[in-house]
Amino acid sequence: MAQQEERSAATTVRHHIRGPQNFAAGLSLIGVSILAFWASSDLTQGSLRAMGPGMLPRTIATLLALCGFILIAISFVKDGAPLERWHMRGPFFVCLGLIAFAATVRTVGLAVAGPLLAIISGFASPETRIKELIIFAIAMTAFSVGLFKYGLNLPIPVFIIPGVVYY
Amino acid sequence: MDIISHLALGFSTALTLQNIGLCLIGCLIGTLVGVLPGVGPIATITMLLPITFGIDPVGALIMLAGIYYGAQYGGSTTAILVNIPGEATAVVTTLDGHEMAKQGRAGTALGIAAIGSFFAGTVATLVIAAVALPLTKLALLFGPAEYFSLMVMGLVFAVVLARGSVLKAIAMILAGLLLSTVGTDLETGEERMTFGYAPLADGIDFAILAMGIFGFAEVLRNLEVTEHRDVVRKAIGRLLPSLAELRQSSPSILRGTFIGGVLGILPGNGAVLGPFASYSLEKKIAKDPRRFGHGAIEGVAGPESANNAGAQTSFIPLLTLGIPPNAVMALMVGAMTIHGIVPGPQVMTRNPNMFWGMIASMWMGNLMLLIINLPLIGLWVKLLKVPYRLMFPAILIFSSIGVYSINNSPADVVFTAVFAIIGYGIIKLGFEPAPLLLGYVLGKLMEENLRRALIISRGDLMTFIERPVSAGLLLIAATLLIVAVLPSIRRSRDEVFVE
Amino acid sequence: MHKTLSRRLMAGLAAAMAVGAGLGLSLGGAAAAYPERPITMIVPFAAGGPTDVIARIVAENMSKTLGQQIIVENVAGAGGTTGSTRAAQAAPDGYTLVMGHMGTHGAAPALYPNLKYDPAKDFAPVGLAAGTPILIVAKKDFPAKDLKEFVAYVKANADKVNQAHAGVGSVSHSTCTLLDAQLGIKPTLVPYGGTGPALNDLVSGQVDFMCDQIVNLVPQIQAGTIKAYAVATPERSPSLPNVPTTKEAGLPDYQVSAWNAIFAPKGTPQDIIAKLNNALVVALDDESTRKRLLDLGGVIADKPGRSPQALNDLVVSEVARWTPVLKGANSK
Repeated sequence: MAQQEERSAATTVRHHIRGPQNFAAGLSLIGVSILAFWASSDLTQGSLRAMGPGMLPRTIATLLALCGFILIAISFVKDGAPLERWHMRGPFFVCLGLIAFAATVRTVGLAVAGPLLAIISGFASPETRIKELIIFAIAMTAFSVGLFKYGLNLPIPVFIIPGVVYY
Repeated sequence: MDIISHLALGFSTALTLQNIGLCLIGCLIGTLVGVLPGVGPIATITMLLPITFGIDPVGALIMLAGIYYGAQYGGSTTAILVNIPGEATAVVTTLDGHEMAKQGRAGTALGIAAIGSFFAGTVATLVIAAVALPLTKLALLFGPAEYFSLMVMGLVFAVVLARGSVLKAIAMILAGLLLSTVGTDLETGEERMTFGYAPLADGIDFAILAMGIFGFAEVLRNLEVTEHRDVVRKAIGRLLPSLAELRQSSPSILRGTFIGGVLGILPGNGAVLGPFASYSLEKKIAKDPRRFGHGAIEGVAGPESANNAGAQTSFIPLLTLGIPPNAVMALMVGAMTIHGIVPGPQVMTRNPNMFWGMIASMWMGNLMLLIINLPLIGLWVKLLKVPYRLMFPAILIFSSIGVYSINNSPADVVFTAVFAIIGYGIIKLGFEPAPLLLGYVLGKLMEENLRRALIISRGDLMTFIERPVSAGLLLIAATLLIVAVLPSIRRSRDEVFVE
Repeated sequence: MHKTLSRRLMAGLAAAMAVGAGLGLSLGGAAAAYPERPITMIVPFAAGGPTDVIARIVAENMSKTLGQQIIVENVAGAGGTTGSTRAAQAAPDGYTLVMGHMGTHGAAPALYPNLKYDPAKDFAPVGLAAGTPILIVAKKDFPAKDLKEFVAYVKANADKVNQAHAGVGSVSHSTCTLLDAQLGIKPTLVPYGGTGPALNDLVSGQVDFMCDQIVNLVPQIQAGTIKAYAVATPERSPSLPNVPTTKEAGLPDYQVSAWNAIFAPKGTPQDIIAKLNNALVVALDDESTRKRLLDLGGVIADKPGRSPQALNDLVVSEVARWTPVLKGANSK
């Protein structure tokens, strides 16, 4: 449904573009290429005898932009796939969960970071049942502690309160 | 014949109760860490090194080697079940393996992977026993120019393996190459495109990139489709491949074993190319190449065999030249030195017990892995029935711990989040992530060897053509490219770039 | 809704903590004597390398003396400076140590302009563990019989000779740059991503010579696939008794070894440093630990060289020695 509406909207508003996905893909490639040129601007080019660090990144970026322009050109002359809808809920909560894990794993330990990741990312799915998830998250974390800390002997902190507990 | 007496010596060393036990332990641990996304053999072998201090060197090495090839088996399981390639070599397995799992054929995919790997492991063991020494001479023919040409050939495989638009595949390869240039420049020590951010100084770890762009992006994609989000959408079929499927895959297994075995001998990490080469070949010679990417069993059988054959034969440069072809092998060197055996050209004559014992244990390990893995398939397939609302938090926890443990760095977990978004965007724009990963893997090797070759030739590009091996590889690459691109151009002018 | 949710979250966290507590936490107290929990030793390099191997061998024995396990944590990156930075910034409580080496605590200030630590000021030295001598080696058909001929040949054919190294900032790069500076030669440098690939191309004759730690080279030299000109220590190495020292071969000023030493963060209490140093000294006197280190071709620190003060002096002199050599090489 939503896709249908978007497709019709796209064709009426931007009727010159016949392949919106290719158009957007081409634009992103050019964007990446510009970013690469900017990021490698301080690197020397060098010569074939002594290639500088900047030669290859800039060559690749040029080719990438070329691919981008061809894709855009195609999007004007040929019918292509429409743009797909981006769902924001999933990426948002999954990334938030991962960041929470990263922030806590070394400071508070896995016993907190694990459930935190599972519970925050749980909001990414409308089907999540919070009670079930909390129990599951704690069980998974306990299992991970057993597996990674004891089974595989990885140096991963389990629980830390600065100055009081370090385990 | 020498080979028989050598193998007899090897088996007499390997077939002691202690060594069989250690081999089994190694294979079990290896399978476990291979299955766990991100952990991988490197972290595990590192952690287990101190434990092996108390064991005699042969037993310790047998166990550590078991972890290595056990992890290869386990890694394919994760690739097939949840679309996370733990190592570069498992990327190809996700393409058709995970498709098969989605169609309810996870058991078949896992089964053929295990059988193919066992066959490849057996052949590779025999090859190592018979011709390890002469093969090292071949390895020494490869200098920077040859490796560069080999990598160019590898990039052409990436074009072949794409299922959609050739142009978009090329764009993804270029993006992968670009990503591989991030980090400290090998020659000048300058930081390249790191935006002054220290954790980027060593570039991007493969496991982090693959986890984000493949695994987590797959999670994000599954989350948006509420109706059929469970990994297995259809009834689970048979647990083991049927006879007809076995017959269908056996030529692929043979070809995969050969390709993987040959590439594994090269000390410059040629083994990484094996699965890609095998997949490209299978797709090219298939009667109906369109099946590939939609659950073709040959697309699992060939690359998996190539992977395992390469994993075994990559012991050749380590054992006969003393030169580790990849990070795991470098770790094995460390393990050997701790145990007082410094690998080098003389290991074979000085420590024949260890040398042949290890080779015999490889075959033993492969047999054990087959025995361990076939019954496990039922368990894995049952795991797929866990509802997705619980499955994805579990995937995230295990993967995050795995990623963290690579460098004990929380920043790496944040990187996977960034790559997850990028991977999600890539799919939304109609690109495929596999060519990007191949471009990334080959990019570093390609640039380093290109620059080295040009430094040694003092800037003369002719060096790539004047050296016969290099010229031959480039010729193959050019032929492959023409064969790959021509049909899509000829097919119809309107359909140039979209299949 | 929000309230119940956060309550549930809290309940979850509390339960998680209970799980953690149930698994047996060691509660800390000021009264207990150091060390009361495992100690982390950061190795700022990938597992399996010479520094990692030395760290593991030494740490195993030190654990016995201290009565607590020393966990080796590999934090590789940026020539070892990533892990060393982490150690410098860790709490100075004796529970985080680092196995630093010639690069991280000698050459790094010259190589990394944005270095976040000062090797001499941001650490409390514990003691020197072991070093590995540096060898000068060449491909087997290189047209020079001994070091004198080698020097003459490289000087005469400066534009033809290729020198391999294992990446900027690596031991092989720093030590060979010192050799080039002392000889006044400028060979073409061919960079590799580690000793392994560099050695491979030396064996197959793609490059002409290199310098590296003895542990990596011994098997190749014994097998005759490469040849050694000299070892850069005052005495010959027991694993290669036929290779002369640089002094014997006519290059007495070239004395260099890749030393490895334990450091704690600055501000670590003196009694803890003393305990750690004692454990290190015990380890270096232990028969089986010595044997393991010597098998690697390692040189174990002598008795006066093992004190924290001696290590401090070493760091100061090494920084002073490497800075002009490497800065000069980089600015050309």
